[in-house]
Amino acid sequence: MYISKLSIPRRTFLRGVGTALALPLLDAMVPALTPTVKTAAKPVKRFGVVYVPNGITMAAWTPKASGAAFELTPILQSMAPVRERMLVISGLNGAGGFGHTGAATEFLTGVKVETGAIAGPSIDQLIAAESGKETQLSSLELAIDPRDGTGNCDGQSCALSNTISWRSSTLLLPMENDPRIVFERLFGDSGTSDSAVRRERLQLDRSILDSVTASVADLQRGLGTGDRHRIVEYLESVRDVERRIQRAEEQSARELPVVSQPGGIPRTFEEHARLMYDLQLLAFQCDLTRVTTFMMGRELSPRTYPEIGIFEAHHPLSHHQGDPIKIENITKLNTYHVSFFASYLEKLRNTPDGDGSLLDHSLFLYGAGMSEGNTHDHTNLPLMVVAGKDFVPGDRHLMFNGDPAANLLLSIADKMDVPIDTLGNSRGKLLLHTLL
Amino acid sequence: MVRQTLARWNGSITIVAVGWALWSLPTSVSAQGTPNASRTATSPVPAVATNSTEAGAAAPQRALLDQYCVACHNQRLRSGNLALDTPDVTKVGAEPEVWERVVRKLRLNAMPPPGRPRPDAASSQALVSFLKTEIDRAAASHPNPGRVDTFHRLNRAEYKNAVRDLLLVDADVASLLPADDSDRHGFDNTASMLSVSPVLIERYLSAAKKISRVAVGMASGGVSRDTYQAIIYEVEDDQANASDELPFGSRGGVAVRHTFPVDAEYEISVRLRRNGYDFIVGSAEPHQIEIRLDGQRVSSFTVGGEIKGTPAPLGFAGNLPGSPEWERYVTTYDDKLKVRVPVKAGARSVGVSFVSRPTKPEGIRQRPETVMSQSLTWDNPYGNPAVENIKIDGPFHAAGVSDTPSRRRLFICQPSGTNASEEAGCARKILAQVARRAYRRPVTDAEVDTLVGFFKAGRGKGFDAGIELALERILTDPNFLFRVERDPATAAPGAAYRISDLNLASRLSFFLWSSIPDDELLEVAVREQLREPATLAQQVRRMMAHPKASALVENFAGQWLQLRNIERVAPNERAFPEFGELLRRAMRRETELFVEHTLREDRSLLELLTANYSFVNGRLARHYKIPNVYGEQFRRVTFDESADRGGLLGQGSLLTLTSYPTRTSPVLRGKWVLENLLGSPPPPPPPNVPGLPERGEGGKAASVRERLEQHRKNPPCSTCHAPMDPLGFALETFDAIGKARRVTEAGSPVDAKGAFPTGEVFEGLAGLRSFILGHRDAFVETVIEKLLAYALGREIETHDHPTIRKIEQLARTTDYQWSSVILGIVTSAPFQMRTALPRDGREVAGVAAPARGGQR
Repeated sequence: MYISKLSIPRRTFLRGVGTALALPLLDAMVPALTPTVKTAAKPVKRFGVVYVPNGITMAAWTPKASGAAFELTPILQSMAPVRERMLVISGLNGAGGFGHTGAATEFLTGVKVETGAIAGPSIDQLIAAESGKETQLSSLELAIDPRDGTGNCDGQSCALSNTISWRSSTLLLPMENDPRIVFERLFGDSGTSDSAVRRERLQLDRSILDSVTASVADLQRGLGTGDRHRIVEYLESVRDVERRIQRAEEQSARELPVVSQPGGIPRTFEEHARLMYDLQLLAFQCDLTRVTTFMMGRELSPRTYPEIGIFEAHHPLSHHQGDPIKIENITKLNTYHVSFFASYLEKLRNTPDGDGSLLDHSLFLYGAGMSEGNTHDHTNLPLMVVAGKDFVPGDRHLMFNGDPAANLLLSIADKMDVPIDTLGNSRGKLLLHTLL
Repeated sequence: MVRQTLARWNGSITIVAVGWALWSLPTSVSAQGTPNASRTATSPVPAVATNSTEAGAAAPQRALLDQYCVACHNQRLRSGNLALDTPDVTKVGAEPEVWERVVRKLRLNAMPPPGRPRPDAASSQALVSFLKTEIDRAAASHPNPGRVDTFHRLNRAEYKNAVRDLLLVDADVASLLPADDSDRHGFDNTASMLSVSPVLIERYLSAAKKISRVAVGMASGGVSRDTYQAIIYEVEDDQANASDELPFGSRGGVAVRHTFPVDAEYEISVRLRRNGYDFIVGSAEPHQIEIRLDGQRVSSFTVGGEIKGTPAPLGFAGNLPGSPEWERYVTTYDDKLKVRVPVKAGARSVGVSFVSRPTKPEGIRQRPETVMSQSLTWDNPYGNPAVENIKIDGPFHAAGVSDTPSRRRLFICQPSGTNASEEAGCARKILAQVARRAYRRPVTDAEVDTLVGFFKAGRGKGFDAGIELALERILTDPNFLFRVERDPATAAPGAAYRISDLNLASRLSFFLWSSIPDDELLEVAVREQLREPATLAQQVRRMMAHPKASALVENFAGQWLQLRNIERVAPNERAFPEFGELLRRAMRRETELFVEHTLREDRSLLELLTANYSFVNGRLARHYKIPNVYGEQFRRVTFDESADRGGLLGQGSLLTLTSYPTRTSPVLRGKWVLENLLGSPPPPPPPNVPGLPERGEGGKAASVRERLEQHRKNPPCSTCHAPMDPLGFALETFDAIGKARRVTEAGSPVDAKGAFPTGEVFEGLAGLRSFILGHRDAFVETVIEKLLAYALGREIETHDHPTIRKIEQLARTTDYQWSSVILGIVTSAPFQMRTALPRDGREVAGVAAPARGGQR
C-alpha cells in the first residue's frame, strides 16, 4: 500500500543515513551567520543555472499571453510567490546539435558539437572566471544523477550528457552529486572547523602544489605545441586550486557555521534535491562561490519518480508519441522539478543579504536544452530567468522569433558585469527590457 | 576466485613464439605521408600508393561494385555518407577508410539491404578478400602505429591499484575520487577522455593525505566514521543469512570487511531498520543481536519487547499517535547497540546478526521493496527486526605505531639515533625507492632532493610524519598521475619509432594489471631486455598467471560487455519481485568468473560463446533452476544438453542489462550482439520514431515480437532493424531478468526464430550461437579490436585494422586462445611503437584537438 507524500503526517521524513543529513540546514543556521562582504552601494551578484533534461511539455509551459499579463501555466504554478521576479522566455533556439548530447552541450555554450568532446567555454565558467577572483571556489557544479555507466549516449561519449559546464572547448567539468563531497569542497576535509588546523593544512597543500608546478615545467620542456594540451590543462587546474587555497587562507579567520556534514547521498530524490539546493544557498550565503550550475537530471536520465506516481523511466517517458497519459505524466514531472526551484527561490528571498535578500542579488537561468523531448526539438527552448529587481523588470513573458539562445547568455553575462562579445552561435545580446 | 596453473600458458607459448619469430617488426620505418587524420571529412591523401594492383585483378571487383553498390553509394546520393563510384579500386591502399567500411559491412553480409539484388556469397567474399589483402599490403609498407597522448592520466581503477601496489594501502577510490568519463565505446582508460579539472586536483590532494597517513600507520588527525549499509531491499527469505561469514543459527544482519588503519580502540554501532514513520521494525518482541569481530563475538544485546506506555494502533495512517513515552522508546531503543573494542590494524570482518528463532510469526504480509520504490509503511511490530547499517568510528587512543604490511614495505630502514644526517640518509633511501616505483622509472637526484625537502618540512612531528608528507608529494606528482611518453629527439617528424623499454613496461602492466609495473618488470626494462621477444613473452606469461591479472576481467570485460551497467538496472518490482541485490551481485560475479576462467585456463575466445559450463552460487542456481547448489560461494556447474544455457549469451547479467524494466527488448539485445560481438554497431535511431504500440492489431495483447513487425514492414526502419531484431528474437526464450521461459509477457508462446537478411535462419540460444560462430572472424576481430583499444588507451582508427587482421590470422593457428591474442597485441606495431608528432605540430588522429574559439 502506497501512501503518497501528501498524506504523510507530522513526522519529518527520514532521520538520515547514519550521520545527520542536516535537513533542513538553514533553519538551524540563519541566525548564526553574519553577512560578509556586502555593502549597500555595491551588492555582490550571484548567478545560478538549473537544468532539467529530456525536454518539457511546451503546451503546459508556454504562457499564451505575452508581456506583463501572462497567466501562470500548470508547470509554472509553483512560481506564483516569486512571479514578480520571473521572465518566461520563448522563441529562442539552440545550436542544432544532435539529440540529448547536443542539448546538454549547447545549453550554456551555444556550440553545436560535431565529433568528439569539443564544445566551448560555457557562460557560467566565463562569469566564474571573474567572480572567482574574490571567492574561494570559482564555481560549483552539482547534479543529482550519477554519471552514466559504460556505452555511449546518442553516439557520443556519455560524458557529454553528464554535464553542461565547460571550462574551455576541451575541458568539461564534472558535476558532483554526492552532498558529502560538496560539503567537503565548501568546508574542507580536515574533519574539524578549528581554523588553526585548517590553515596548517592549507599551507601544506599549497606547498605541495607549488612544488608540483615546478615538476611540470620540467615535463613541458622540449614538447611540441601539439603535445602540451593535457599538461597545460593540469597546470591550469593546479593554479586554480592554488588560488582557491590562497583565498581560503586569507579568509580563514572568517566564522563558518556549525553544520553537520551530510552522510552521503540521500535515498529519495526529494531529499537529495533539497539538500543540493540547501548547499547552494549555503555557498552563496557564506560567499564561498558566486556561481552555481545544477543539473536536476542528466540528459537521457532513466530515473523513475514513484513518489509522484511515475513508474516509467524519464527518458522513455519523454518519447510519449502523443499518448495522453504519458504526456500527463511527463508534465507532472516537469511541474515537480519546477516546484523544487520555486522553494529554493523562496528560501533565497527569506535570507538576508546586505540591504536586501539573496534573491535580490541573484540571477538564475532555469531551462532545458530541448523543448519537445519527443522529437528532440532544439527550437523554442523552455527558458526562464529569475532575477532581483535591480537586474531586469520581472513578471513578464518575452517571445522572440528564432534568435539563438546564446544571445540570452550574452545578456545574462552583461547583467553579471562580465561583458562578452560572442559565445558559440550568438548574434548579439537580447534586449531583455523590450516587450515584443 | 578461480586461479589456475601456468600449465596452459606454457604449452601455448611455444607454438605462438614460433609464429612471432617469423613476424618481424619493420626495422626501418618512415611514413612521410600524413598520418591518418580520419576525423576530418577529407583526409589529405599523399601519393604513396604501393605497387598498384593490376587492372585485371581489380576488374571483377569494380564490376561487382558497379552492379550492386553504386546505385545508392555514388557521389550524388551518398547513401550512408559513402560513395563507391569514384574511389579507385586499383589503388585500394590510397583510401583505406572507404574500403574498410565496405569490408566491415560485407563481413556480415549486411549490405546490400534486404529487398535489393545481391551477389552470390562467393563473389562477395572474393571482394572482401581482395580489399583486405590490398589494404594490408599497403599498410605493411607504411605502418602507422598511431599515437596515444603524451600525457595519459591514470584512471580511478589504475590509481587504486597503483596505490595498492606501491604502498599496500586499500584506497576507497569511489569516495576519494570522482568517476572518470568513458569514450563512446565505453572504455574509461581512453587518454583523450581523461581530463584534469580543478575538482580533480583538489581530490588528489585530499586522497594523497588520507592514503599517506594510512601507509605510514599514523593515526589521522581525528576520528572518522565509516558506514556500511545493509542490503535492505532484498526480498529474499528474511530468515536466511545474508552472508556465509555469519554463524549458523543467525538471521539477517550484515558482515563487512573493514580496514582498521592503526592499533587502537574502535566503536562499532548498529542502527536498526525503521519504517516510514521512523519506528524501529520488530519492536513488539525481544530479539537477540550479536556483534562479531573476525568471527569472535564481542557483544550481545537484547532489543525490543519492552512495552512502555501506549503504542500507536496497528495499521494506522499516522494520525493516531501512541503515548510520548512509547514514541520515544520505539524510535530510539537501538541507541544502546554499540561496543568499543581494541582492534589491531588490518582488514578484518565485522558482523552483526540476530539469533534466529525457531518459530516465525506471520505478521501482515508486506509488499516487496526495491531501491526504486518508496514504500513508506511497514508498520509490523511483530515482524523481524533488521539491521540498517553498521558504523565504525575510530581510532580512539591510538597506541603508538602499529605494525602493518604497509609499514613493513615502506620502512626499509629506520633511523637509529637522532643524528640528523643519518636520518636524512635513511629518508632518502626510502623515498628514492618509492619514487622509482611510483614514477615507473629511475629517478634523478634532483627529484629525490625535492622529496627529501618535504621530509624535512614534516620532520618536526617525527620521522614518520616527514616520510608521510613526502609521500603526499609523490602521490600528487604528474609523473605519478600520468603515463608520459615523449618523442625521442632522434625521431623524424611523423615517423614511427619504437617506444622505450620503460614505456613498454608501463603499457604492459597497465594493460594486464591496470597498475604500475612490479620490481621485476621494471628491472627488466631498465636493463633494456624487455624488447627481446623471448623475455617479453616470458614476462607476459608471468603477468597473466599473477592474481593481479584479474584486473583484465574487471576492467576490460566489465566495459566491453557493458557489465558495469548491471549496477543500474531496475527491473520492475511488480513484474519481477524476485529480483534483488543478491541476485544482481550473483549475476555480475558469474560473468566475471566465467571470463576470468577462460583467461586463466587460456581457453579459446570461441569458448566464451560455446562453453557448456558456468559458475553459480545458491541464489543464481535457483534462478537458473539448477538443483542442489546452496550457499553464497560460487562453483562450477556443467549444463547438460537439454539446458538452454552456456556461454555469455545465456548469462543472466547480459540478458538483464539488455532488457527494459518490465519486458524484454529484442532490439536492445540485437544491438548489444551487433555492437559487442559482431563489431557492427547500428547508428543511433532518428528521434521521431513512433513508439512501440502497447498492443497489437485490433487492440489484442501482442508479444513484443509481434509489435516489432513494423520494423520489418517499413523500409526506412528495416535497413537497421532487419539485421538487429532477429538476433534479439533468438533470445526471447529468456525473460527480462534472464529466466528461461516458454510464454511471453503477453501470454503467447515464445517464438525464438530469427532470420537474418542474408537468409540465414536460426532459433533460440543454440541457433544464435551457431550463427555467430558462422561469422567467427567477425567475432574474433571484434574482441581483438576492443582489447586493442583497451590496451592502447585510444580509439581504434582505420589504420589499425590491418593489425587486427594480422593478430586474428596468427591467433587462428591456436584456435584463438587468449594467450595468442594477448601476445599478438603486445607484439604488434601499435603497442610497441608510436608515431612522432608531425612537423607542423598538428594533432594526430586519436588525440583531442587543441582549443578553438571561445573567449579565453
